[in-house]
Order: sequence, then structure tokens, then C-alpha cells
Amino acid sequence: MSPTDKKRQADFQIIARWVNEGDRVLDLGCGRGVLLEYLKQKKSIYGVGVDIDLDKILSCVKRGVPAYQGDIPAILATFPDDAFDRVIFSRTVEQLDDADAILAEGLRVGRHVTVGFINQGFWVNRMNALFNGRRTVNEVYPKPWYESMPNNPFSVAEFEDFCDARKIVVENRVYLSGDWRSECSRLPNLLAGYAIYDLSSID
Amino acid sequence: MNDSEQAPLISEEGEVGFVEYQDFVSKEPFKFVSGGSLPELTLRYETYGHLSAAKDNAILICHALSGDHHCAGVHGIEERKQGWWNFMVGPGKPIDTTRYFVICSNVLGGCQGSTGPGSTNPETGKPYNLDFPKLTVQDMIKAQSLLVDSLDIERLHAVIGGSMGGMQTLQWAIDFPERVGRYLALASGARHTAQAIAFNDTGRQAIISDPAWQQGHYDPEHGPDQGLAVARMMAHITYLSDVGMQSKFGRKRRNVDESKEHFEVEFEVESYLRYQGASFVTRFDANSYLYLTKALDRFDLHSPESLDATLSAVTAPGLVVGFTSDWLYPPQGNREIVEALLRLGKDATYAELAMDFGHDSFLVRSPQLYELIHRFLTR
Repeated sequence: MSPTDKKRQADFQIIARWVNEGDRVLDLGCGRGVLLEYLKQKKSIYGVGVDIDLDKILSCVKRGVPAYQGDIPAILATFPDDAFDRVIFSRTVEQLDDADAILAEGLRVGRHVTVGFINQGFWVNRMNALFNGRRTVNEVYPKPWYESMPNNPFSVAEFEDFCDARKIVVENRVYLSGDWRSECSRLPNLLAGYAIYDLSSID
Repeated sequence: MNDSEQAPLISEEGEVGFVEYQDFVSKEPFKFVSGGSLPELTLRYETYGHLSAAKDNAILICHALSGDHHCAGVHGIEERKQGWWNFMVGPGKPIDTTRYFVICSNVLGGCQGSTGPGSTNPETGKPYNLDFPKLTVQDMIKAQSLLVDSLDIERLHAVIGGSMGGMQTLQWAIDFPERVGRYLALASGARHTAQAIAFNDTGRQAIISDPAWQQGHYDPEHGPDQGLAVARMMAHITYLSDVGMQSKFGRKRRNVDESKEHFEVEFEVESYLRYQGASFVTRFDANSYLYLTKALDRFDLHSPESLDATLSAVTAPGLVVGFTSDWLYPPQGNREIVEALLRLGKDATYAELAMDFGHDSFLVRSPQLYELIHRFLTR
């Protein structure tokens, strides 16, 4: 595993903390199924991945991870309420067309929702914008804007506002510092490179 | 993100080479879902590769409406055309005959050696014709299960099929969950759309309205060839796509003889379809066509209760593949199967391939389909 892969997967352990043994887990934007494979090994979950890209589905097939190639809103609509114990959006929300509606659907289909995102308010991102007038390009997001997926970045503070406005219950929140490995809790909107939220709806 | 994974290399490919068919004969009466029965039953089949000592490496391939048991290799040196899925089946290919024992049988009700309407009824000495019992996909796979029994195979490593073969595959997973290790249904669906039934019935009417059909009691040498050819021409259009036809034929013309009739072949696409129709009648029986298309129209996994209720019997992991340009069995019809399976908490995967060849895409070699089948069988 390369250092980049390690960094990418640092959040797996935190995500796994909130998953119970044998849970039914839906991973939206599952990529190559690495997280689901990890959760299957650690927690014996029944996991299903969703991704739009055939190449990613091919990797899921290789891993033995059930996967559905298609649109996130379309597949969510086919599930009854509370069909899953947990719905995971791991670095997915930034790329959604209608994040508000899809997160609401996630909370309907899953009893709990995990959202992991890169904190746009992290000081390095602020510095890059302020002094360089550029977005951050690093080992996790190595591609320039014209080669990457459409991205709608947001900050810890903005996500907190959203949960507040929508009356979403934040059960847990974990912040990772800039190395994405060590947990941090002070001034998260400024000091956290990555944030992971454990959510549920009120009723 | 640059997180591509290296594609596994598939070892060098070989061919299954010369193959011979075999006949499985059951002298026991065979009962149909409809209540009808046959006094005895023959299924013609081919096998490739070797059955392991543990008898755990068998793969059953189910063919489509106009396919047959000959899916790989050649029967003789003079045979130009290889089996219908030759690119998929063979040493080093996704359905690897060095690892798997592959079985493909001509379907019950067919006309390539298995018992069908054209077969002789041993009790009367005459062809069954329309006395052949009402046929369903369930009957087809029940007959196949007898063949699998005869080969002393308890559990199949996998069942695979496209189109009508995909429906048989799904039915296998539902009716014989304990005998199916995994299943792979390509370009299929849980039931025909109104459009698919409409096309099938137009084809049937072309046959039935051909005077040579004679209420099904035609002399095999002088069958309703016109009607069957028209049915095939029309069905063939539904297997292709607008884009595919446009790029293959466009408005290309043949060398037209101006002195000839108004309605001689003028466009390439006309020539192609007429050839398809004319060659089909040399290998297909009109009554078989009627029975098989009707079996497909009746196939409905939403019945008697719901798709979810029907699929609740499935235990094996499944892969369902839809093709973007398939308008006969469109992606949505493939997708809904996996949606139901996932609702039920089953291990199921849906993949969608962007290919221009319409419904027939599963019969066209593509690296992605190759990868998908290879990975699913070996996972």
C-alpha cells in the first residue's frame, strides 16, 4: 500500500467504529469497494456499493463486493425506509448534484448515515486561496481542476449549519488533522483536514 | 484520483477446437408446468473441458432464442462458423475450459436436436406439432436439470446466459437455489415489456398467416418459410440498435439494376435482413419459434405475487448485466432485478455496458464484458 493509499484509508478505522457487527451497509460512491471489503473483514457486514463508473464496478466484482452501477438518487428511491443500518457517503457529498435531497434520502433509507468530507475551511486551503489564488493540489487530490470530477467543497462550519437547519442529529463527529491520521478536536473548522460525521434523523 | 487498478492478465487464449454433440435421453415421462407431458425427452448438448473429481467445476450456459447447444469450437474441418459464444468459451478465455467443465444444451421446445414441436411423438409416430404442451422457461430449466443429474453433478459452479438464456439463468437461481453456485444473466429481464410482446406476436402472426403453416401441420420440407423469414427479419431488427445499424449500413446501396422491379433489394440493410431471414428458415422450425416466443412472453418474475417475492428464493451471488443500446430488454428491466435482490439483502451486482450493438451486444466481444465475466467467475 502506498503512503497515499494509507492516507486515503485512515478514515476507515473511524468509519468502522460506528458500524456494528453484521450491519447492513450501503456505500454510496463506493469506488473500488475497498471500504466495504474492509468493513466485511472487520465487522462481517452485508455491504452494497453504488458507483456510476463501470471500471469501479469491475473492481468490486473482483473483491466479491456486491455493487450497483447507476445513479445514487435512482437506487435510493428503490429502497424502503430503514432498509440499511448505515448509509455511507465517504468523499461523495462534494460530488452530488443535489446534496440536500440525497442526504435526506440517505437518512430515510439508513437508520444512520456516515458522511466523510475534506474540510474546505482547513487553514492550508485558506492559505492557498488567499496567497496563491489557487485550490490545493496534494497527494490525495493530485489532479488539477480540469481533470477532476465536479467538486462542491464545503467546510466543517458549513456542514454544522446544514445539520442544524435540517434538524439532523449529529451522534458523533471526528476530525482528523492535516495528515489525515491523528485526531484533533480544537478549532476544527481551521485545523481539521478531514471530518467524519455520524448522523441520524430525529425520529 | 489516480486509483486505477492493474487489470489481471488473462493467459494466452486457445480454442476448444473440434467438438461433438451428445444426446441425453430420458425415457421417463416429462411433466410441464401447464400440466401437459411428454412420454420421453431428448436434450442435445455439448461439453467442453473436464469435470473435476469433486464435480464442482461445471458451468451451464443457456442459449438465446435462436441459439443452440453449439456455443464453442467447430464440428468439422469444413465448418467455417464457430460456436455462437466461441470468443467467450475456451482455454484462457473468461469461461476457461482448462478450469471449468462447460455444458450447453439445446433448449426443450427447440429444433436443433432436443425434443420440440417438430419431434416425433413415439406414441403416434407423428410430429407433435401443436400437440406439444404449452411451454414455459421453467420447463426448459427443469429439463436441463435432468441433464445435469445424468452427468452426476449436484451443484453447478455457475449458470450463465444472455437474453432467453438470461431468463433461464434467473429461473435456475430461483427454482434450484441449492444447485447454483453463482449466476450471470446478460441482456435479460424479469418479464417482457408490451413492446417485446408486440414484436413477438407480429412475428408469430407472420408465420400463422403463411398458408404453408397449415395450422401447424406442415410438411417439414415445405414449412411456412415466408412467414418465418419475415418473423426473423423483424426480430433481428429488435436485436440491433439504430446507431449500430446506421454505422453498419447507413443508406448504402447495392448495385441496383434499374430495369428490374421496384421492390428488388436496393439498400444494403434490405439485403442483410433478407439474408438473415432466408438463412434462418434453413435451421429453424416455425412451430418451435411459436412455442419459444410464447414461453418468453409468458415469463414473468413479478407474478404470482411480486418480483421481490419470486426472487426471495435466490441464495447464490448474482451478476446482472444490461447494455445501454438494448431497447428490446432495456437496462431498466435488468436493473430492477438487482434492485429487488438488494432490497432482499442478496449478494447481487448490476453492471451496465455502453455498447452500440443493441440487444445482441452480449454476443459481441468487448474487453469490459470479458473482464466482467472472468472476474465474476473467479472471485
